[in-house]
Amino acid sequence: MIHFYHVTKRFDRYSTALHDLTFQIEKGEFVFLTGPSGAGKSTLLKLILRQITPTEGQVVVNGRNLNTIRRSVLPFFRREIGMVFQDFKLIERMTVFENLSFILTVLNVSPREHKRKAYAALRAVDLHHRMNAYPLQLSGGEQQRVAIARALINDPLVLIADEPTGNLDPDMSQDIIRIFNDANLRGSTVLLATHDRDLIRESGRRVITLEHGRISDEKISVGERAPARSDNVFGLAQ
Amino acid sequence: MAREFNSQGRHEPNVPSNTITYFLKEALRRTWASKRTSFVAVAMIAISLFVLGCFLLLSENLQRAVERWQGHSRVTVYLNSEITPDQQRAIDAFLASHTELAARRFVTKQEALARFKSYFTNLAEVAGNLEENPFPPSYEIELRPGIAQSRGFEALMTDVRKLPGVDQVQFDWEWTRRLRRIIEVLNIIGIAAGGVLAMAAAFTIANVIRLTMMLYHEEIEIMRLVGATERMIRGPFLIEGLLQGTLGGIVAVAVLAAGFFAGQRTLAPSSSLLWGFLFGCFLPWQKIVVLILGGTVAGWFGSWLSVHERREEA
Repeated sequence: MIHFYHVTKRFDRYSTALHDLTFQIEKGEFVFLTGPSGAGKSTLLKLILRQITPTEGQVVVNGRNLNTIRRSVLPFFRREIGMVFQDFKLIERMTVFENLSFILTVLNVSPREHKRKAYAALRAVDLHHRMNAYPLQLSGGEQQRVAIARALINDPLVLIADEPTGNLDPDMSQDIIRIFNDANLRGSTVLLATHDRDLIRESGRRVITLEHGRISDEKISVGERAPARSDNVFGLAQ
Repeated sequence: MAREFNSQGRHEPNVPSNTITYFLKEALRRTWASKRTSFVAVAMIAISLFVLGCFLLLSENLQRAVERWQGHSRVTVYLNSEITPDQQRAIDAFLASHTELAARRFVTKQEALARFKSYFTNLAEVAGNLEENPFPPSYEIELRPGIAQSRGFEALMTDVRKLPGVDQVQFDWEWTRRLRRIIEVLNIIGIAAGGVLAMAAAFTIANVIRLTMMLYHEEIEIMRLVGATERMIRGPFLIEGLLQGTLGGIVAVAVLAAGFFAGQRTLAPSSSLLWGFLFGCFLPWQKIVVLILGGTVAGWFGSWLSVHERREEA
């Protein structure tokens, strides 16, 4: 599903974020990406979303080479990827509901469906009672959960998240991981960048560790495998 | 199960109705959100189209006046006051022999005086006190359409002028010819001035849209990252420019109409021939539509310039 072939990303002569990175993530996998700050995790995720292009090497997602993808096809590619940004990227002038509804407008979903889908997505992150609040009226954790609901609302083929539990307490972090697990069980390939070693330790998932832009370790964490699939909270998997 | 990736997504589906509603809502919201800059853009369009409309109105009224005169284009052949009956018969026979002259009518001295008194009632008394009737007899000759512009006609009039008993030959289409030239010049000036101003207005709208796009750059970035197409991103901005341009066009026509009808009510009845011509009638609906559409096109062009430029940057 996600293939990196000898990918190097340099921002300038003195700053190389990723060095000759080669790995692949299979369809349906759930992978944690970890490493210290500045290791290149965010850069790697940006490459997958094609926010940036590699200096050298090839990035292929779902059989599509992102080095050569046409500009006209890019939006359709991105619609299949749910991304939880580290800085949330919520539209401040829109309410929580509108932030989600907006995505459905972009995806040409009938307006009749907006409320149902948005409500379901927000209920999954336990924010359905704050549909009419504006992002600035929410705490950091709440904003993060809205960002997660937005990423999941389209039942994406690939789900990538940059520190999705960074602002959450341990209980809520576990709930969020459960939501990602559900998405994974519905068929989404999940790549989750996180610092939280506790989350990784007990996940039983594959873990890629980056250091100074290189893969320093790649292993399956100990612990139980993914939990059984919970109810179809989004109502999107018909 | 997650959906399969749409690798054939190179052709966008038709814009659904909810997208059009989204475009309109967003355009109206953004116009309202930046009222001041939008007002400047609308005002610029309105001013340029108002200037163009003034020229159009002027040339429209002059054009109508010319057409009215030319509809019964005629030559007046003034005769000597002491013309003999033989000379008059010869002149009459000469005029009758030329088919390009559709009709002729002999106006006696008495009839000319009576006309003068009826046209200029305040001078009637003065005319009545004259010892001698100063108005010469004349022939009023109606022309066949298109004859006045022909070369042979000038030669014919030269011959008429040489006839014994003819004092003067007056062509009123000389005036219409001059007026036509004036109208042409007015049209050129109007189109040039209106065009330059419309371009300036389009660039003003381009700058307003550019500012709005800068204001919304974070939102645009988010839209791109979640898979919005360029059409989805640019649509509201294009509609915004289009609305501003159309509104400018409507304002220009409204101000022009208000000025015209106010002028017609206050200035035209002053019995001045000039005001009568200038305030004869308002623009026909076709020209009104052209003016408003001009605003729409200028607005669209301005916003297109901006979104095209920002897209290149993207």
